[in-house]
Amino acid sequence: MTMEADTDLVVSAPAATVSEAVRTPWTEFWRKFRKQKVALIAGAFVALLVLIAIAATWIVPYDAENFFDYDCLNAPPSLRHWFGVDALGRDIFSRILMGARISLAAGFVSVAAGALIGTLLGLVAGYYEGWWDRTIMRICDVLFAFPGILLAIGIVAILGGGMTNVVVAVAVFSVPTFARLVRGNTLALKHLTFIEAARSIGASDWTIIARHIFPGTISAVVVYFSLRIGTSIITAASLSFLGMGAQPPTPEWGAMLDAARSDMLTAPHEAIFPALAIFFTVLAFNLLGDGLRDALDPKIERR
Amino acid sequence: MKSPLRSLVTAALGVFSLVAAPAFAAKDVVFAVASTFTTTDPYDANDTLSQAMAKSFYEGLFGFDKDMKMIPVLAEGYEVSKDGLVYTIKLKKGIKFHDGTDFKADAVKANLDRVTNPENKLKRYGLYNNNIAKTEAVDDYTARITLKTPFSPFIAQLAHPSTVMISPAALKQWGSKDIAFHPVGTGPFKFVEWKATDYLKVARFDGYWRKGYPKVDTITWKPVVDNNSRAALMQTGEAHFTYPVPYEVADVLKAKPDLELVAAPSIVLRYLSMNTQQKPFDNPKVRQAIAYAINKDALAKVAFNGYATPAEGVAPQGVEYAVKIGPWPYDVAKAKQLIAEAGYPNGFETELWSAYNHTTAQKITQFIQQQLQQIGIRTKITLLEAGQRIERVDTWQDPATAPVRLYYVGWSTSTGEADWALRPLLYGESWPPKLSNTAYYKNPKFDADIKNAQLTTDSAEKAKLYKDAQETAWNDAPWAPLVVEKLLSAHNKKLSGVYVIPDASFNFTEVDIK
Amino acid sequence: MLQYIVKRLLGVLPTLLIVALFVFLFVHLLPGDPARLAAGVDATPETVELVRKDLGLDKPLPQQFVRFLSGVIHWDFGTSLRTKRPVAQEIGDRFMPTFWLTVWSMVWSVIIGMAIGIVSAVFRNRSPDRIGMTLAVSGISFPAFALGMVLMQIFSVQLGWLPTVGADTWKHYILPSLTLGAAVAAIMARFTRSSFVEILGEDYIRTARAKGLDETHVVIKHGMRNALIPVVTMMGLQFGFLLGGSIVVEKVFNWPGLGRLLVDAVDMRDYKVIQALVLLFSLEFILINLIVDVLYGIINPTIRYR
Repeated sequence: MTMEADTDLVVSAPAATVSEAVRTPWTEFWRKFRKQKVALIAGAFVALLVLIAIAATWIVPYDAENFFDYDCLNAPPSLRHWFGVDALGRDIFSRILMGARISLAAGFVSVAAGALIGTLLGLVAGYYEGWWDRTIMRICDVLFAFPGILLAIGIVAILGGGMTNVVVAVAVFSVPTFARLVRGNTLALKHLTFIEAARSIGASDWTIIARHIFPGTISAVVVYFSLRIGTSIITAASLSFLGMGAQPPTPEWGAMLDAARSDMLTAPHEAIFPALAIFFTVLAFNLLGDGLRDALDPKIERR
Repeated sequence: MKSPLRSLVTAALGVFSLVAAPAFAAKDVVFAVASTFTTTDPYDANDTLSQAMAKSFYEGLFGFDKDMKMIPVLAEGYEVSKDGLVYTIKLKKGIKFHDGTDFKADAVKANLDRVTNPENKLKRYGLYNNNIAKTEAVDDYTARITLKTPFSPFIAQLAHPSTVMISPAALKQWGSKDIAFHPVGTGPFKFVEWKATDYLKVARFDGYWRKGYPKVDTITWKPVVDNNSRAALMQTGEAHFTYPVPYEVADVLKAKPDLELVAAPSIVLRYLSMNTQQKPFDNPKVRQAIAYAINKDALAKVAFNGYATPAEGVAPQGVEYAVKIGPWPYDVAKAKQLIAEAGYPNGFETELWSAYNHTTAQKITQFIQQQLQQIGIRTKITLLEAGQRIERVDTWQDPATAPVRLYYVGWSTSTGEADWALRPLLYGESWPPKLSNTAYYKNPKFDADIKNAQLTTDSAEKAKLYKDAQETAWNDAPWAPLVVEKLLSAHNKKLSGVYVIPDASFNFTEVDIK
Repeated sequence: MLQYIVKRLLGVLPTLLIVALFVFLFVHLLPGDPARLAAGVDATPETVELVRKDLGLDKPLPQQFVRFLSGVIHWDFGTSLRTKRPVAQEIGDRFMPTFWLTVWSMVWSVIIGMAIGIVSAVFRNRSPDRIGMTLAVSGISFPAFALGMVLMQIFSVQLGWLPTVGADTWKHYILPSLTLGAAVAAIMARFTRSSFVEILGEDYIRTARAKGLDETHVVIKHGMRNALIPVVTMMGLQFGFLLGGSIVVEKVFNWPGLGRLLVDAVDMRDYKVIQALVLLFSLEFILINLIVDVLYGIINPTIRYR
């Protein structure tokens, strides 16, 4: 049984195949990626989001922060206010557009930072094992156990508020998960025959990690990355109550969602639109992630 | 002769059983409240809710009726000596504690001695200002309390929901700490059990001194934190009474045929304090401009769904000696003029902090931000988390460097009396970290009024002094007075006799259910 | 392997000691004076000092730490600054409801999540995959408070089938575990799909398929084992996260859980409860991750640990 599994694994091919030498990695990637219609649409949506984040100030129908109309509090969607009006008389559509900037920063940048650090730590822990593994993984265990709210209050107390610190805090929350995921994969990959072979011909540790092990961990990283974006937007919002990051009236999807909570029964549209914004963003990143993964993985051809 | 008598007896029994029958069916009521109880010991509680719940088993010498009028409860009445130092309190007779012992003057002594002894480290130690010299039991039903200095609001302290009579026998048995898990009082209900995560249950005390009460068998106090869940509990009939009802769901509950929504008046004042020791708020014109710039009616609509009224004075109506002065008019033109006169035609930037971080506070601060924007004042909002609030406001040591500027906060005067409504918030010696004068307001005239009012026992004189104090503070505008909120509760139409009183505590001795 | 487990278990104590020191220093660094918080806003300075003495916070820090440690050794975590009940009791009252809620949430969400994941992988980029993806993304981006509220409105208020709040009978577990498990199911579905897509693309599966082996057989025999590594990792982590309690779900369903205990404790700077909870959470994660590491070895025998 065990033997069988081992021999099965031997035949699995390493990252680089001979045919690839002919085309550059980029054209190869694009050739595969282009074929995936859904991923292309998702990519276009993400591009649109980035565009909105940059240009929101000029395209919003109302001032997202300073426009208010106390005569139509909590008004449902209408032609005048496409997504309705919130409890303070502000236009929700404008706030969603303006909120893209901070939500994307909190969602994307922080997770990217967390993924980068976490992946590195995971590779080191998994590849070297022993002392490295024990130390890194025990630190991760503590970070897992350490309540986020406590960490956040501490960061505010020591470093102060500010958007950068939100990114730092949310990144810190993500690091240990990425580290453990990558370490698990690394542990499984490093005993594969082709890696043993690479080592025996004198490839350096870093070459092996970068060329052979890292590509094998990408898929898990991408999956978690794209899921984590939504969670991070909501986490970042909860930090704004501790005086971190976006402060009112600056619009931010997670904070809008949270503010809508008390009006859920009487004005559900205030929660629905920010929730949809988060939903579509996360969906787009997931579809894009799948597409990228498929395009990057040489083993996978469309069936 | 026999048979008519027998039929009379039978008839009487029949009537009796008819009358009594409903009483035999268990009458269990459930109150859904907003947070868990911190303790059952009112002397060691600083939250209104725990004290309100403790009224199940505890009563004080004095108390408040449902309109916040002070009434004697276990006391018959009192007399003050001419010098204002000696209070002689006559007690009601024939009252028993749940443990069967009689309520006598030794209980007054035991309880006041307990709280005024720093060894016991009780949270309500400060309420009595370290001003009680001694408490004596003159005879079984007369207690005498001697003060160190005259303090005319003293009776109000005795009416405060924390000053209750705990059975001296039980105190001796359980000790000052453990009494919190074994409360024994004279109240209408006996303590049954407290499952901290779930509920606190009390049951009818048959020996209760007010004949005919209580009318229900048990009350289950159920803390349910989430507002919408509490509303759901009322709709399914799992709870019979709930407070508070969030302003946002008021309309939903109002529409339910079997529920009744009650908006009761309160003495909970919401205001925006301004640090009068710091530029630009040291200029009265700036402070007045801010008071003019905020539309209090719109605020009541935005944040309270209409369940609040603009503040009409420094102390809210319902507090004894409160004077109606306002409301402060909403006048943007005037505000702009004042702020220009003060030398800030283009406004300025400042900090706006909130003492709370719940959703209503979020709405209120953002609303104030919108309003002040109109006169050029740009504010940065921070909703202080409890620990931050303590650190940056309540315990800031040096007034000269205090970082607080605009500060949204509220106050409920649980003694129902002007001294506790004004002194902690505006008196020159009440600056943080001592008490809560977050405006760092100091006006010798105001301070003198407060001091003199404490010394006099003459009611007319007191009224005059407090009126002067309130008018002084109103015109100096260390605060922009905002609103007095209404207390929203809901109860099942079958339930009666439960009232939310103006300091957000409850009266429920007469609770009954059909 | 046995040697490895023993070594790891021996490492638990020193780790916990470091955690204890770290969290002790950290809570004392936080802004906010617990004595003042406990005494209340309208307390005088004298009262605050009394409360400070009462809570034992007037002693020097090293002394407080030594007292805390020696307490822990004797299984005494002190009394809560907030409720004055023993910390062990505060946590004990909430641990089992949190634990069972975690278990039930994990059971349904892992089963459903993996099923969706496998189906999505087998029908990759076809409609079952798209539906699975939409469900998963909904699960993770639909806010828990809204999901909980909607479920309660439908099943408790409108239909009257299930109780609203509390943790007394099995019926009380249904709605909270659905709410709590939604995000876990989403994560499991996505990871399972991704792993299976990878495995199904491997040469040996193609070989097996080419040899005419039954597809289900291939999936279970070859696919499962190697696909399980990231899935098992995430499962362990999610289990640990849920054991820490969920503030939102506990609030909506008034669940007597550890999440709210923690938030209340942090709000009131209830040092002793915070310290005990962080120690507990650390221990949970250390044990869970140890189990996960052992599972790695069982799933893939080439993982031997050095």
